[in-house]
Amino acid sequence: MRAALLLPLTLLIAACDRAPTVNFQDASITPPDDPNELPDGPGRDVVLENCTACHSPSTMLQQPKVSREKWESIIGKMRKLYKAPVDDAAAAQVVDYMVAIQSDVSHEAPR
Amino acid sequence: MTEGRLTRRALIAGAGTTALAAPALAKLGGGMIDLALPGGPSLRPTTPDFPGKREMIVQRIRPPLLEAPMEAFREGVITPNDRHFVRWNWAMPTEVKAGEHRVAVGGAVKKAVSLTLDEIAAAGEHVSIVAVNQCAGNGRGLSTPRVTGTQWGNGAMACAKWTGVRLRDVLAKAGGISPRAKRVRFAGLDVPLTDGAPQFIKSLPTQMAQSNDVLVAWAMNDEPLSILHGFPLRIVVPGWFSTYWVKMLSTIEVLEHEDESHYMADTYRWPKVPVTPESKDFPTAPITAMPPRSFITSHADGDTVTKGTPLTLEGLAFGGDKGLAKVELVGDGWSVPCELGPDEHGPYAFRRWSVTLPNVSGNLTGIGAKSTNANGLSQPDALVWNPSGYARNVIERITLVAQ
Repeated sequence: MRAALLLPLTLLIAACDRAPTVNFQDASITPPDDPNELPDGPGRDVVLENCTACHSPSTMLQQPKVSREKWESIIGKMRKLYKAPVDDAAAAQVVDYMVAIQSDVSHEAPR
Repeated sequence: MTEGRLTRRALIAGAGTTALAAPALAKLGGGMIDLALPGGPSLRPTTPDFPGKREMIVQRIRPPLLEAPMEAFREGVITPNDRHFVRWNWAMPTEVKAGEHRVAVGGAVKKAVSLTLDEIAAAGEHVSIVAVNQCAGNGRGLSTPRVTGTQWGNGAMACAKWTGVRLRDVLAKAGGISPRAKRVRFAGLDVPLTDGAPQFIKSLPTQMAQSNDVLVAWAMNDEPLSILHGFPLRIVVPGWFSTYWVKMLSTIEVLEHEDESHYMADTYRWPKVPVTPESKDFPTAPITAMPPRSFITSHADGDTVTKGTPLTLEGLAFGGDKGLAKVELVGDGWSVPCELGPDEHGPYAFRRWSVTLPNVSGNLTGIGAKSTNANGLSQPDALVWNPSGYARNVIERITLVAQ
């Protein structure tokens, strides 16, 4: 009985003496679909066309209420720094949409 | 402001009253949670739909931003992998072939090399370190005044056991680094979708990069890193915010100059001086080491407790880049020392704490846990406000109602 217990232990210790190897297997993931929908509002189609290729709408919808100037600055950053291909007319519409959405709280379910 | 703009705004005002009632948060396969973000929007969907994850708070599906609900921190000091927060700046690949993956080690090294995963794993001693991984913006959504960015509650943190080799042993595979080396920079497989946008690359000072504790890790709590957590390899920088813990590591570059890349030079920085929302043109420094934090996990804000009985409160704390020295329970003008749980996993890990108040005589208004680390750094009473909402570590307070 005792010998039978000792044998696996000895093997275990011997295994630990060698450099442990790491078994790297291929990895993949299927993320869930993005069900977030933009609330209706003027410019909604422009937002879908210009913003949501890179990121879910939630990034925008979850922001605290900020000024029009702040939205202009954020969308300016998306264009200049992150090279979002959004033209002047579309950018103005995105700003208008976000300002409009943020001035209406009915898109968030009641507490 | 032009008349055209005014006209457009008038149109929007007209449309808004009828058209804006559609739900913004379509249902995922899960519930909803209220993160109590001041002024809102505060509701978030939760979902178990990400592979390898239990119910997580969805800040964003693409690229994923997933937050753990605070209930994940009620017990233990190791956060299960299925509750570990997820944060990607750019879209990550959804498939990686282990046999084809290479890590290029170049720049100011003796001889640039391209290493397979097996070569990385054979580069040196295998090391395991338990360390808190925390987003620099954890708790940003609780800032007052509010700031823009990912509106995290406090669940963009986790503690795990990380296993890999030391970064310095991987650098040694390239024959060592230049004596003039200033920084070691990392890039992963996540790249911008748009041409010319900055890649998410980050760098450490050379001395930090060569320290005992900085790892090129392949395992998290004894499981291979998942895609969401940076398969096949990620940098682990115990004590520093996770912005440096570059995932899907594919390039290590030694620099002989300061790093002027966007995510070092322009963002993930905070003010060197106290600022207000009106401040402009102040000096900034990169966000690096984490300050101490602590949380009451046994009770939530607004919970009721029984008058005339003892009350035991429990929680979680970590010291940041140094171990914890102490945790106190503080209220309005009073503090009580808490008992720290065992130091099971070293200075970079979560620890439990508890304290028993002998008798609840009335409401416990604005109580919180206050931790101090071995450097003597304590959590501040008031938020150190900064425009990006980084490194929140103000004492998190709750009120318990005595009945």
